[in-house]
Amino acid sequence: MFVSDCRREFYDLIVTQRVLLLVASDVDALCACKILQALFQCDHVQYTLVPVAGWQELETAFLEHKDQFKYFVLINCGANVDLLEILQPEEDTYFFVCDSHRPINVVNVYNDTQIKLLVKQEDDLDVPAYDDIFRDEEEEEEEEEDSEKESDGSEPLEKRRRFEEEVIERTMKRRQRREWEARRREILFDYEQYEYHGTSSAMVMFDLAWVMSKDLNDMLWWAIVGLTDQWVQDKITQMKYVTDIGILQRHVSRHNHRNEDEENSLSIDCMRIAFEYDLRLALYQHWSLYESLCNTCYTSASLKLWSVQGQKRLQEFLADMGLPLKQVKQKFNSMDMSLKENLREMIEESANKFGMKDLRVQTFSIHFGFKNKFSASDIVYATTSLMENIEKEGPETTNFIKALDSLSRGNLDKLHQGLDLAKKQLRAIQQTVASCICTNLVISQGPFLYCSLMEGTPDVKLFSKPVSLCLLSKYLLKSFVCSTKNKRCKLLPLVMAAPMDVEQGTVIMVGIPPETESSDKKNFFGRAFEKAAESTSSRTLHNHFQMSIIELKTEDRSKFLDALISLLS
Amino acid sequence: MEPAEVEFLAEKELVTIVPNFSLDRIHLIGGDLGPFNPGLPVEVPVWLAINLKQRQKCRLIPPEWMDVGKLEEIRDQERKEDTFTPMPSPYYMELTKLLLNYASDNIPRADEIRTLVKDTWDTRMAKLRLSADSFVRQQEAHAKPFQALAQLLQQFCTDTNAHHNPGQGENRSKNPESSLVRRENQHRSCYKARLHPSQAPQHGEG
Repeated sequence: MFVSDCRREFYDLIVTQRVLLLVASDVDALCACKILQALFQCDHVQYTLVPVAGWQELETAFLEHKDQFKYFVLINCGANVDLLEILQPEEDTYFFVCDSHRPINVVNVYNDTQIKLLVKQEDDLDVPAYDDIFRDEEEEEEEEEDSEKESDGSEPLEKRRRFEEEVIERTMKRRQRREWEARRREILFDYEQYEYHGTSSAMVMFDLAWVMSKDLNDMLWWAIVGLTDQWVQDKITQMKYVTDIGILQRHVSRHNHRNEDEENSLSIDCMRIAFEYDLRLALYQHWSLYESLCNTCYTSASLKLWSVQGQKRLQEFLADMGLPLKQVKQKFNSMDMSLKENLREMIEESANKFGMKDLRVQTFSIHFGFKNKFSASDIVYATTSLMENIEKEGPETTNFIKALDSLSRGNLDKLHQGLDLAKKQLRAIQQTVASCICTNLVISQGPFLYCSLMEGTPDVKLFSKPVSLCLLSKYLLKSFVCSTKNKRCKLLPLVMAAPMDVEQGTVIMVGIPPETESSDKKNFFGRAFEKAAESTSSRTLHNHFQMSIIELKTEDRSKFLDALISLLS
Repeated sequence: MEPAEVEFLAEKELVTIVPNFSLDRIHLIGGDLGPFNPGLPVEVPVWLAINLKQRQKCRLIPPEWMDVGKLEEIRDQERKEDTFTPMPSPYYMELTKLLLNYASDNIPRADEIRTLVKDTWDTRMAKLRLSADSFVRQQEAHAKPFQALAQLLQQFCTDTNAHHNPGQGENRSKNPESSLVRRENQHRSCYKARLHPSQAPQHGEG
């Protein structure tokens, strides 16, 4: 059931209760969790936070805590699957689901009592109508019983005629029923075929805070980071991103207009958010400009930096802008001020000449104190790499808690650690992409492209985590599209496989939609993987909340792929 | 006293807030507070003000003295005088720290205020060090800045001076630090001339 008034139907209910927060492992969920935690702290709500990385963990957490809690809040998990069937809760437990995964399961939509969806209704959801999917089955059975009883008590002739009529009626009904069921299956198939993403959960939580007039600049910043995470991971279309930026821009100007007034300007330690039409280069303010140009997907793919010619083109590009190589390889903060002043316009002009039309993007940046200035995408990269840090430093959830902490302004050391890890991750991604393209590891299997990372590849452990692997595959696809001359291959989606756990012999496989200018980011691999696994009875684990990421045993890989090929061609 | 104790005592000072909720009078051990009405200023102790501010339930109004002009005057006054001048509040340092940490968005020109209070504090610390140093060196009965303390020590001085003065003269020459310790009477007059040519010494002349 959709919640129309977030405040009355959600917040006011849980403010006096103990709540269990189940939070998925992605930056958008972390930001939404932070906003909700801040609201809970204002009102002294008792809550328990459990990070979950997949369906199994969700179930275990639920089973552990179901006796103590009646109210569960699920962030970025649970909307696209029948919750009641999986969790089998009691009658009086309530689930509040704030999830950006679509399509929302029809049972969750039409359940009136236990499942409440915190989703904006303006999102084009296209949920099928109730009558098309659900039918009162009891009515049918009663009618049949009545008709049977009637046929017992009457004369033989009439009885026979009536019996024939009834048989005809019953067959008609059965045929109608079969037609209805066929139509229902078709509707459901169309509805659930493609996976995509809706509004960021962090923005939904910020809306809740705004409606209660408890929104702060901090919460606004977390909403911005949540939205930027969706954009960095290519989960939403450009149109939606620009629309959502417009919405947040209004809030930003409302909170941050005091900075223009000289008389009453805020202390320098207060946080300010500014709208910027900034460069699309990853982490460029915390790195050198040269490194950033080499390790950002957009520039590296457009300039084809894996080839020698590409390196030459990069030098030409820098020369065109008039930036000396020595300056460009220095840390960005130490570059000459004269070069930094008009950097953005200069780069944009030169970039247009080299075929990179979208080098600038609308985004926000934060600054507090004299030293600390961060752009939203910086925070996204830092938090993602903290969360997927492969160095195990303690119990399972330390990485999650560390990443959550790094979002607070007081924990700058964690943020800087995250930035360093992010730099390593980006470098590793670019090197892997370069080697894959140079060694032609991306092969066309017919209906899709396929690439598999071997075990001995450097940094392959980094890619055993889902978000990093998704980032790698998107960058690989973009670079491949720029490098190949085959027109048909440019429109194909990509399936990427990487070794996950060498001892258990599992492989993590990710499917991403094709890379086109106006793609609507709809992914059909979720259902395709399920069907292929069923048909070959491969040992797969569909644990991740996004259906297009699965784990499977290395031995079953080839038959799984064959099934997938035959399914999709 | 520990800093935490001092802060605890400072938090009992009253400050004005503008709440955004409504609540009837609350009866606490320390006294009654409230009633709270949205938009109407009310005086509460600092500990409650900070707690409400963190929960976004109020807006803090800076105390009268936390204003750039007034603090500049206070700082200049402190620099001119050689002894302590009266401060706007006995807990001015703690209050500044607390209010600027938690509510700097409600205080205009917070950075300048922080600098001015720090300047005043530094001046007072310097005076303290100077007078404590000369207090020890010259074995004075009391150090000049502590006017209030002087009153208290005066009683002790009149008792002890009579005993110590005759003995000190002999011991001083054998004292290894005698080069640093000069004769009492000589220095009392020099000291007076340096700081307060007009002010007469407050303890017995012996």
